[in-house]
Amino acid sequence: MKIAWKEIKKNKVRFTILGSIIFLVSFLTFIISGLSNGLSQDNAALIKDLPDGHFYMETEANETYNLSRIDKDVQDNLLAKQKDAVALSIQMGFVNDANDKQHSLAFVTSTDSKLFESVEKGEIVLDRSLEKDGIKVGDILTNNQFSGEFKVKGFVDQAKYSHAPVAFINMENYQEIYRVMEMQLVFIPGTDNEQTITGLQSFTNKNFLNTIPSYSAEQMSLNMIVWFLVVISGMLFAIFFYMMNVQKIGLYGILKAIGVKTSTLFKMMWTQMLVITVIALALSVALSQAFTMVAPEGMPFSLTFENTVQLSIVFFVIGFIGATLSGIQIKKVEPLQAIQQGEV
Amino acid sequence: MTIFTINEVTKTFTNGEVDEQVLKGINISLKEGEITALVGASGSGKSTILTIAAGLQRASDGQVVFEGNNMTSMNQEEIRKIRATDFGFVFQSAHLVPFLTVEEQLMLMLDVSESPLKKHERKKEIDKVLKLIDMEHRKEAYPASLSGGERQRVSIARAIIHKPKMLFADEPTASLDSKRSKDVMTLIRELTKTLNITTLMVTHDEEMLSYVDHIITMKDGRVL
Repeated sequence: MKIAWKEIKKNKVRFTILGSIIFLVSFLTFIISGLSNGLSQDNAALIKDLPDGHFYMETEANETYNLSRIDKDVQDNLLAKQKDAVALSIQMGFVNDANDKQHSLAFVTSTDSKLFESVEKGEIVLDRSLEKDGIKVGDILTNNQFSGEFKVKGFVDQAKYSHAPVAFINMENYQEIYRVMEMQLVFIPGTDNEQTITGLQSFTNKNFLNTIPSYSAEQMSLNMIVWFLVVISGMLFAIFFYMMNVQKIGLYGILKAIGVKTSTLFKMMWTQMLVITVIALALSVALSQAFTMVAPEGMPFSLTFENTVQLSIVFFVIGFIGATLSGIQIKKVEPLQAIQQGEV
Repeated sequence: MTIFTINEVTKTFTNGEVDEQVLKGINISLKEGEITALVGASGSGKSTILTIAAGLQRASDGQVVFEGNNMTSMNQEEIRKIRATDFGFVFQSAHLVPFLTVEEQLMLMLDVSESPLKKHERKKEIDKVLKLIDMEHRKEAYPASLSGGERQRVSIARAIIHKPKMLFADEPTASLDSKRSKDVMTLIRELTKTLNITTLMVTHDEEMLSYVDHIITMKDGRVL
């Protein structure tokens, strides 16, 4: 579409302004989306990073995993039948370092599994955020409900639960701290092997996340923020494309009068929309990805390339609709009427 | 030989609840290669009949026949094809495409009319027409950098580059001074006579009538 490109080249300022608006609005949406995902990740990375599968908790716990106590025989039976299954428990707690400084964390223990850190008695593996608090490998940590001491074995990345860093400990140590012998949950990876087990209720990963106190309320608010932004940004795109084309109705009238096909006018509008949107979104995606590298340490920010591509597709579709809506008006208008409406 | 006829054409505009008939049974015949001027006071309906003849709006009743084909029974696409290949237009303002150079304006018209000429032939044809209107030196210029007279000359070149059979001109000299008006009319006459283009034009300017073959006077929506 040479004519579309020629118009862009000749009206660089107008198209640059329109492109800048698309760039700024999409960049804002990507950054807010990144912050929202970051908070979500901060709340439940431990669960979100697991493969798709099913969680099982005691039916009587009424969807509150803290109250769940899975019978040892049921657990053993499940783990024996399902090779990849793992039993786990999660409880909020704290440890004291050598300087008696207290660190809040989420204690996690599990049966042997590749999905969770394997820890010997008296050892502890921590989320890397605690390393930034000055804790080092080999440090000794204590807990007032634990008779022994924990020696820091290492750190893992992105192990967060309920906005707290996770501490993987041995099952026996966990049982001593919380005075409980049963595990709270069993997780079986794989989407196609949901089982019906008497006395246990099953949850997909997503459904299980919603049982975490405050998670669903927090996510709902964050998702609303992002989607409101997406909808408003999209409408802004559509309105700008619409206004741009309506302003040019006189030009389209002349082109129609000399015999240019309406389909050619549509191709012209779509080409311009495509060029502006692709350039603006590409810049926006690149800069938002660059932001993930320079974001301040400790800021919950998570923006995957897939997220930005998904949002870009939404913006692209809305921009296309905006351009097409104005095109429909131009299709309807008689050439003479269009010439009279917009003097060129 | 008659190439274009307008038979009993009426046009009624609805203004709120009031119907206003601006054309009341117009009959006009145009002979091949001749220039016909429509004259009359403002509101006499001359511009309306010109735009109906040019296929830019539809008549309420009557027939517009071009080369034996009744345009009033044609669909939008058929009329568009005729506008693109057989008609040329010169408006009161030049109405050039603001982001195309003079050469590109003419190239666009050749594209739209689906000219059988190859690219290098098209360039030659454009050079030839630009020479005819004495604008070869401005072929890279954009409309904004042209004077009013130059723009109107380019608009005439755009109207005839694809060698249409009909040229419709709506007060082509209205925005020009006396000298430029005469230049433009001389150009229209020379080009249409050279290319055997039948011309129907609207004018207010009596001085311009010396350049035309026939004059049709209109009053209150009728031909006198």
